[in-house]
Amino acid sequence: MPNETSPAQGSDAEAILSVRDLVVTFGSFTAVNGTSFDLFPGETLAVVGESGSGKSVTALSIMRLVELGTRGKIEQGEILFRRDNGEVVDLVGLSENEMREVRGNDISMIFQEPLTSLNPVYTVGNQVAEAVQLHQGVDKAEGMARALEMFQQVRIPDPEQRLEQFPHEMSGGMRQRVMIAMALSCDPRVLIADEPTTALDVTIQAQILGLMRDLRQTTGAAVMIITHDMGVVAEVADRVVVMNQAEIVEQGDVYDLFENPRERYTQALLAAVPRLGSMTGLDEPAPFDLVEMETVEMKQVDS
Amino acid sequence: MLRTVAARLVQIIGLVLAVAIVNFTLLHIAPGDAAVVIAGESGSGDPEVLDEIRALYGLDKPFINQFGSYLGRVATGDFGQSYRFNEPVTSLVRDRIGATVILGTTAILFAIIVGIAVGVYTARRPESWFSHLATVLALIGFSIPVFFLGIQLIILFASVLDWLPAGRMQDLRFEGNFIQQWIDIAEHLILPAFTLGVLYLAQYSRQTRASMLETLQSDFVRTARSKGLSERTVVYKHALRNAVIPVITLAGLQLGTILSGALIVETVFDWPGLGRLAFESVQARDAPVLLGLLMLSSILVILANLATDLVYRLIDPRIRVGGSAA
Repeated sequence: MPNETSPAQGSDAEAILSVRDLVVTFGSFTAVNGTSFDLFPGETLAVVGESGSGKSVTALSIMRLVELGTRGKIEQGEILFRRDNGEVVDLVGLSENEMREVRGNDISMIFQEPLTSLNPVYTVGNQVAEAVQLHQGVDKAEGMARALEMFQQVRIPDPEQRLEQFPHEMSGGMRQRVMIAMALSCDPRVLIADEPTTALDVTIQAQILGLMRDLRQTTGAAVMIITHDMGVVAEVADRVVVMNQAEIVEQGDVYDLFENPRERYTQALLAAVPRLGSMTGLDEPAPFDLVEMETVEMKQVDS
Repeated sequence: MLRTVAARLVQIIGLVLAVAIVNFTLLHIAPGDAAVVIAGESGSGDPEVLDEIRALYGLDKPFINQFGSYLGRVATGDFGQSYRFNEPVTSLVRDRIGATVILGTTAILFAIIVGIAVGVYTARRPESWFSHLATVLALIGFSIPVFFLGIQLIILFASVLDWLPAGRMQDLRFEGNFIQQWIDIAEHLILPAFTLGVLYLAQYSRQTRASMLETLQSDFVRTARSKGLSERTVVYKHALRNAVIPVITLAGLQLGTILSGALIVETVFDWPGLGRLAFESVQARDAPVLLGLLMLSSILVILANLATDLVYRLIDPRIRVGGSAA
């Protein structure tokens, strides 16, 4: 499939993160097959695709977490990260110790499941302060002070009390705010959000997306958001990478892509979004249309 | 927290009463005449002597009267006289409880510490040769009968190698100061504590391994790694505290059963504790001693559960909240 490698926006700017020909395997299964894309400072890049398309594995590979806790292996490719001082390092070649300094500090990540992503036996304040203490070499008190600051920034009400709470005492939306506070606590230059709103209900989704948009403006971090929700893409993204079956099928500016999807798969993906009013005049709810991948024609589901 | 403890202590009274009723009834309907046992000790089987003994111990009275007076005495802390030793049950227990506590605590601590360490190691490196060895040893550990293992260890370490004493708690000809006395006891303790601990060790290591493997796959461990924490911090701070919760459950349940394990081990190693006392009391139909020991072990089970609850609260904040709301 053709790869659109030149980014629509500012090819003169220097990418903060460049993934080149990344191949990630799980045993004999290839989860990511020759992916290349760039992330530029200050932009929001959406990586979209259906389940199993390799979006999350790409994200975990950038963090080099795919080799820890899963049986994944980065077979080939480069993940070039531009440091503060302009030096470009290939994250694939870093040792585990060097990589630990990048994680949570230069690049941090928010996960899909706020309900299970926090450790149930430590207070949320502790868990946020832990990252600050680690990367900034400060003591517990300063770590907690920074955590408080972050809680205020992500608009957690009663931040002083909340610091002392355990994850189970908080709602899903609050926990995701804690995760965002944790991820941003060390001023990362890249934030990877892996389906940050999928597990939340719709009103909370809107709040979290709004929060992420605001924070991107105040912190200037580049955001890579992984989602299968075209609504989220339209809401936050500057550029879009479309993945299907371990490969990138199309990438480009968000407006171009929505107006003018070149690839069949992208057209199918956009066509799969239910439209408001599509069931007007029907007596009862009708099943959604299925998309025929080959012809991108809408087919009525037999009911 | 205090309310939980108080509520549990009230439960103890009810439970001990129930245990007393069941045990007293069971021992009463068991075949064998206690008067014959007592008479046998004093060397006479004369019917008149038997009647005299029955009258002396209240054995001629109806069951309900016997039980009533037993409960009355227990309420004042008097668990009766041993038929065999002609000594109060409380003083018999007091003399022997120390030996069992030393043996049981050493065995459980050994099992928990080594079991968790082995479990964590094998969960982190499931394909290493040590993990495979540990799996086989654990299987042997909880399938080998305790008495058989004890005897084999005596043959190897006491008889063949002559490294450790074969039995008892102290050398009969022992002379020396306080510290030397404890070293002597420690030498005697190694084999029985190991024998008693192996069964638990095998279970704790497997339980730790299983729950650690699961915890290491959980989302919050991934979060901890994404913060840039070292693998050591991830494993020992974030994963272990969650992974030991099922191990604590298991250990808490088993703490109450330690007496039955001690019964076999103390008998094999001639260890002067409550287990051997129980075994000898069964053989001698020494009902008052048996009743006292059964009561003690039921209290032990309840206290073990209480201790488990308190440790839970310390480790898992989710339980802390549930407890204070209840």
